[in-house]
Amino acid sequence: MTAAALADVKVVDLMWAIAGPAATRVLADYGATVVRIESTTRTDICRTVAPFRDMPPGPESAVLFHNVNTGKHMMTLDLASAEGREVFLDLVRWADVVTEAYTAGTMRALGLDYDTLRAVNPGIIMLSTCLMGQTGPLASFAGFGNLSASITGFGHLCGWPDRAPAGPFGAYTDYVAPRFSLATILAALDHRRRTGEGQYIDLAQGEASIHFLAPAMLDYTVNGRVQGPTGNDDSEAAPHGVYPAAGSDRWLALAVRDDAQFAALAGVIGHADLARDPRFATAAARREHRAALDALIADWTRQHDVHAAERVLQDAGVAAAVCANSADMAADPQLVHREHFRELAHPTYGTTPVEGSRFRLSRTPAVVAGAAPTLGRDNQDVLTTILGYDEDRITDLVIAGALG
Amino acid sequence: MLSPYRVLDLTNERGQLCGQILGDLGADVIQIEPPGGSPVRRRGPFVDDVPHPDRSLQWWACNRNKRGVTLDLDSGRGQEMLRRLAASADFLIESETPGVQAQRGLGHDELAALNPRLVYVSITPFGQTGPKAHWADSDLVLMAASGPLLMTGDEDRAPLRVSVPQAYLHAGAEAAGAALVANHERQRSGQGQHVDVSAQQAIALATQSYVLASAAGFFDAQRMAGGAKVGPFTVRFVFPASDGHVSITFLFGPSAGPFTRRLMHYVHEEGFCDVATRDKDWIGFFEKLMNGDETMTELERIKETVADCTRTKTKAALMQIALERDLLMAPVATTREVVANAQLGHRGYWQTLAHPELGRDVVYPGPFARPSAMPIRYRRRPPTVGEHNHEIYGSQLGLGADEIAALATAGVI
Repeated sequence: MTAAALADVKVVDLMWAIAGPAATRVLADYGATVVRIESTTRTDICRTVAPFRDMPPGPESAVLFHNVNTGKHMMTLDLASAEGREVFLDLVRWADVVTEAYTAGTMRALGLDYDTLRAVNPGIIMLSTCLMGQTGPLASFAGFGNLSASITGFGHLCGWPDRAPAGPFGAYTDYVAPRFSLATILAALDHRRRTGEGQYIDLAQGEASIHFLAPAMLDYTVNGRVQGPTGNDDSEAAPHGVYPAAGSDRWLALAVRDDAQFAALAGVIGHADLARDPRFATAAARREHRAALDALIADWTRQHDVHAAERVLQDAGVAAAVCANSADMAADPQLVHREHFRELAHPTYGTTPVEGSRFRLSRTPAVVAGAAPTLGRDNQDVLTTILGYDEDRITDLVIAGALG
Repeated sequence: MLSPYRVLDLTNERGQLCGQILGDLGADVIQIEPPGGSPVRRRGPFVDDVPHPDRSLQWWACNRNKRGVTLDLDSGRGQEMLRRLAASADFLIESETPGVQAQRGLGHDELAALNPRLVYVSITPFGQTGPKAHWADSDLVLMAASGPLLMTGDEDRAPLRVSVPQAYLHAGAEAAGAALVANHERQRSGQGQHVDVSAQQAIALATQSYVLASAAGFFDAQRMAGGAKVGPFTVRFVFPASDGHVSITFLFGPSAGPFTRRLMHYVHEEGFCDVATRDKDWIGFFEKLMNGDETMTELERIKETVADCTRTKTKAALMQIALERDLLMAPVATTREVVANAQLGHRGYWQTLAHPELGRDVVYPGPFARPSAMPIRYRRRPPTVGEHNHEIYGSQLGLGADEIAALATAGVI
């Protein structure tokens, strides 16, 4: 049997919230040993964030926490205690990669900055990720990705032109940054394999995420144009929008890329003549007469079940999709085919739902196996199996309160 | 960091960011476009609003640190040249509809037979196989099919996308990490593999795990301007300022509650709420909402006092207050304000690349990370159409100037 892709990679993970753990989750999916360290006094904020598995909410029922920590070993450690720091440095000696997502300066204040880590493990790769970077006037600025999404332009560039900004859903840059963290960590491992050299990586969530707005940023730096929110309009496709379907809050997204797709759409909605109407002959003309066209399309979508509408349009080659809610997603035959949804065994709930890997490797597929452990579940295992501590040493740590 | 590796980037508008991330990390990335240039080059905005394949800002956004060649992959000669390039490449990235590359003799299996070490990355809307593998797609349609769309926007209007297309940026960035996972494995096994990236699955990360709500027996998140509704609760992040808006993480509990407490002290000091409002239990407020000790009506009243306060200040003043008092508050910035941001300026974020073909310098978003051993450098501006045809077909395929000219005449490059 082929070993997991990252079977040889050892990670000590001080990430918390979303962006950090979402990156190390991928390492765990592909076989890395990831030891996630939590504090019992300052638990991960994601343990308090909805959605929850059943009600009432509790620290072990937070679905988001489970979803970004699947497959990791979880131990509790008080990094403010001398004994706790000693254990941590032993883990650093063992590890290839240390990741942390505290407010800038926290690791230094704990006496655990990169220079300290490098002194015990010269090849260590350390990645620090926070909202706006380790240096500068906003270095200590803390928060979720909704704030860096606002600072970096996403908030302003998501809305209706005649309304206050809507902003993207939730902590948006928390979903952008983990990809950049993952790629950088893996590149640093490759560099170390060839050169023996470890390094320190400062990854600012905001700086990475601006690359998802690059065309708008260039439009300002090159043309001086400050782009505003454009609703669901598109600069090329027409018609292009989200149309009401039968039922409560059911919507169909629709994007017509060319005249052939428009002819197909016109046929589906029972207005084949529209394709010959000069008002709608080209994308530019369709944009100009958008109100009339949107009304005709909405007249049709309102009378149809959204899934049926999606199917008949896709069968005709028109890009259309249900605005999916979570039940739609769970029933989506494509996501079922891709094994996107997994149910993992859980001591409290029997099973807990998580997402699978977002990509497939043909020879060394992801193994999405272990639910995120309950707080401190793996303390004993990490201390004995990974660090080789004996029972006396572990007892001393418990008495000293270092495992808190 | 990735300087030993050569990447053939065949992507169209789907997933060009993947190659750029590998290029930023040091890889030698060769973008392969159809003769005349990539369809991405036809998309605006354009420099000075003059449409031209070498003036597309959409192109510039994702093709820095790449070299560029043209090659007709629908011609037999073009396919043969691509196979020769792939024989010595480390990565190949493509984003055609499943089956298209195989029909050209350029699919994973064909190229893996030539070069077993090749990491072959496919970026598609829904994945290589499955009932929707051949469905028509677009940015809007993928944001709908992946969950974020229904959660975004004003409650009295249709679901809403981000105005700058996001779908293939999620997919492309996901693919970069995926490619490097396969690369790590290759060091041990000597074998490449097929990396199959689904944009739909990548984008689902942007639901903050609400994609799992029904599986968990929880409420879906529903759209609400400047926030979201979850069951009976509303979360509002966007508040007015005198010159625009600010985002405030107005939440409760042991982590967020202390920030809300400090915010309410500020609102009180500014004269917008009374002491009783200021001194509510911000740590336990959510539990009090659940058991009825507090009500949503009261929460809405409190948020209005916050709005009354922020409405009287500028975005810049509120950012300063957030820093001084440790509040979860930040301006909703325009692109002009992002480019002028003092933090980004202090860190020297923005990078200038010379575009001699246009006689101007261009300011680009800067490095996505700062690795100390090998900083990300902006070595090359995005290539013009066919800019490196001679360089690459000469050095890689040993073609002479006459042969390259003949290929151009034949429309192969």
